[in-house]
Amino acid sequence: MALLETHDLSKSFGALSAVNAVSLRIAAGTLHSIIGPNGAGKTTLFNLLTGQFPPTAGRILFDGRDITGTAAHRIAHLGLARSFQRTNVFPAFTLLDNVWVAAFACSRSWRGLVWRRTDRYAEVTARARAALADVGLAEKADRLAREISHGEQRQLELAIALAAAPRVLLLDEPAAGLSPEETRRMVALVRTLKGRYTIVLIEHKIDIIMSVSDRISVMHFGALIAEGTPAEIQRNPEVRRAYLGGMAA
Amino acid sequence: MTLLLGQILNGIATGMLYALMGLGLSLITGVLNIPNFAHGALFAIGAYFLVSVVGLLGNFWLGLMVAPLGVALLGLAIEWAGVRRLYSAGHDYQLLFTFGLALILNELIIVIWGPVGISHLPPALLRGGMDLGFTFYPKYRLFVMLMAGLLVVATWLFLEKTRYGAIMRAGIENKEMVSLLGIDIHRLFTAAFALGAYLAGIAGALTAPIRGLSPGMGVDMLGIAFVVVALGGLGNLLGAIAAGLLIGIAQAVVAAYWTEASTAVIFAVMAAVLLVRPQGLFGIR
Amino acid sequence: MKHPLVLVLAAVVLLPLVVRPAIATEIWIFAIFGLGLNLLLGYTGLLSFGQATFFGSAAYVAGYLLKHYGIGVFSALGVGIGVGALSALLVGYLCVQRSGLYFIMLTFALNQLFYFIAYQWTSVTGGEDGMPGIPRPPILAIDFRSPVAYYVLVSALFLLSLWVMKRVVESPLGRILQAIRENEVRAEAVGYNAPRFKLLAFVIGGAFSGFAGVLYAMLFGIVPLESIGFVFSGNVVFATLIGGSGSLYGPIIGSVVFIWLSESMSVVWARWPLLLGVAFVIVVLFLRGGVVEAFSRIWRFSKRTT
Repeated sequence: MALLETHDLSKSFGALSAVNAVSLRIAAGTLHSIIGPNGAGKTTLFNLLTGQFPPTAGRILFDGRDITGTAAHRIAHLGLARSFQRTNVFPAFTLLDNVWVAAFACSRSWRGLVWRRTDRYAEVTARARAALADVGLAEKADRLAREISHGEQRQLELAIALAAAPRVLLLDEPAAGLSPEETRRMVALVRTLKGRYTIVLIEHKIDIIMSVSDRISVMHFGALIAEGTPAEIQRNPEVRRAYLGGMAA
Repeated sequence: MTLLLGQILNGIATGMLYALMGLGLSLITGVLNIPNFAHGALFAIGAYFLVSVVGLLGNFWLGLMVAPLGVALLGLAIEWAGVRRLYSAGHDYQLLFTFGLALILNELIIVIWGPVGISHLPPALLRGGMDLGFTFYPKYRLFVMLMAGLLVVATWLFLEKTRYGAIMRAGIENKEMVSLLGIDIHRLFTAAFALGAYLAGIAGALTAPIRGLSPGMGVDMLGIAFVVVALGGLGNLLGAIAAGLLIGIAQAVVAAYWTEASTAVIFAVMAAVLLVRPQGLFGIR
Repeated sequence: MKHPLVLVLAAVVLLPLVVRPAIATEIWIFAIFGLGLNLLLGYTGLLSFGQATFFGSAAYVAGYLLKHYGIGVFSALGVGIGVGALSALLVGYLCVQRSGLYFIMLTFALNQLFYFIAYQWTSVTGGEDGMPGIPRPPILAIDFRSPVAYYVLVSALFLLSLWVMKRVVESPLGRILQAIRENEVRAEAVGYNAPRFKLLAFVIGGAFSGFAGVLYAMLFGIVPLESIGFVFSGNVVFATLIGGSGSLYGPIIGSVVFIWLSESMSVVWARWPLLLGVAFVIVVLFLRGGVVEAFSRIWRFSKRTT
């Protein structure tokens, strides 16, 4: 049963059709990658899924419920969390506070919102620390977000998404701008998350995609041109033409 | 009925002046990214300069030419001496600078020209009324409508048809891009401030014979200019005209029946529009 | 600075020894006003240039009730908080829909609306002349008409306000507001309805402003038209910025500096707003990070050299 589905999802900006009748089925517990050249509409698709703007047409279903048009701030509470392609953290906060804020949002109750001291929320703080530990940043919890390296900020990006204890993780190019060593670590990290979460991954680096994905969807000019297992996609001639451009696997 | 029509005409005249104020403020605020709290004071100084120049040279037309130039020069000085220096400190400080300046200028007006209101007659040519068929209407107000209309057209031509105008419009949209294109962003700021100040100054000069002058006229006008920009949108010429006319006519019509509420109506109209359309008259959500 | 609260307590005790009790009272009232603004400015990143709307509205309403209906001090303060919060809810609702420059301009324009209403509604507000004759009722047997007694009341209320604001900024709300300031898109993505939280900050700030407004009316016995005007709104922004908007205590320092400045100037010249404007301009041009920032930089520097 598909945990996350889209039916003919479309988004146009005036005459520009950024996402064109995309129909996806993401099965629970799998890692489903979306690849495609720059400008294929992948990030716009994510923006639609997370409610940054409403679609021009089509529907989004989450766990059987129609969530089309749900506002961005409600999406997190439904169980979908997202990391961004360009690092989007809270620069003046410590790493712990960065994640704490995300963890608090999804806690069962907001009791004491205006008067209770933040250090009295043991459960929230524990979840925040766990998310930092998951991404390997536990020792740097008290450093400021703007002071850590780019690679560590990408890890923080991920931790913020994890803090919401979501069912679905939408990861937009988590390895963007990382060195080969950092990329290896990011891939290992994503692997540990596989199975615990349903993951939709946008990535450019083919080796990452091939090694971690259960299924791959290929987008080109806003439309889906292929879908299948990594092996099937590799063999698909249309995909080769549009994207892989004859690169060896 | 003639009263109402007459009031609507009044509203158009003041509305055009409001549009000019909004336009000038919109240019400064749009290009420099700070609300110019001294804009009302520039308006007032335009009016007082006119009175002084006319007093000195005895000619209204000369005054109308010279006074706004004086205000533009003042604008240049303000931008150069203060706003520019605070560019690195951030918008909050530039904003506070214009606020401090507003205080200084408003008080200077009292120091130089006295705390009592002054009235100023229109030039002999424009005194008296003209027969419009349904009513006699003051010639001077018709002149103001004409003049303001010409200025708006001139500004439009400048912004839309000249290269520098295009640069200014681009500067409102995206300053980084403009400086990346090799254009001196600081000169753009100075030009925008001077032009905005000029528009405020000439609006003030034109207003003098209609309502007379008082030291508080700047502060009153400042709020109205902000309303025009909030409703019309930054850098939006059409928006400024539409917003200016809307509140000008609303104010004039209400003044006929309930004088005390006429200025408050301007802000009430703004609040009402924003309730229904938070993005203003022409903004996009 | 390890114990700022101790310093504040010391200031509260020592201030009336240095300046007249009335001026000291004014300082703490303005500090409460500044605390309200700073929740918006420093913590949420919203420059509200119309806080006088809530300050003045509360002063007028509570002043009217004090004068004509003889209500007590606590009722008046309650009314002040209520009016401040309600007017902030109305104004905030319109303003939080826009951001950046439009937000600033709207707060200012709506301030002008309230100002014009106060200016024209002379039968109630007294227009340009203000609303004189505001009494200072006693609490039980305690008479507050002496400047010292009122100072004690106001400084106690100030300390209470400071404690409340401290709780607010150290609560999850405080952190959420700062998150909105740091990165509004991410704050929404993480699950916070940003406009609604901004509105909440507005209302709390308005409540503080209203509270200060009532104390102000009782201090001077009059509600002047200026208390709802744009100069007043600008003054509290100035005071908060020079005190340093980055800390809870910044507005307190700013209030001390500002009230001292404006009181010194008002005795020099009738045109003292001009001097005040000059002071603004000088401070802004030369003392930008604010006094707290300057001090903390000196502090950090001295620590490094020891």
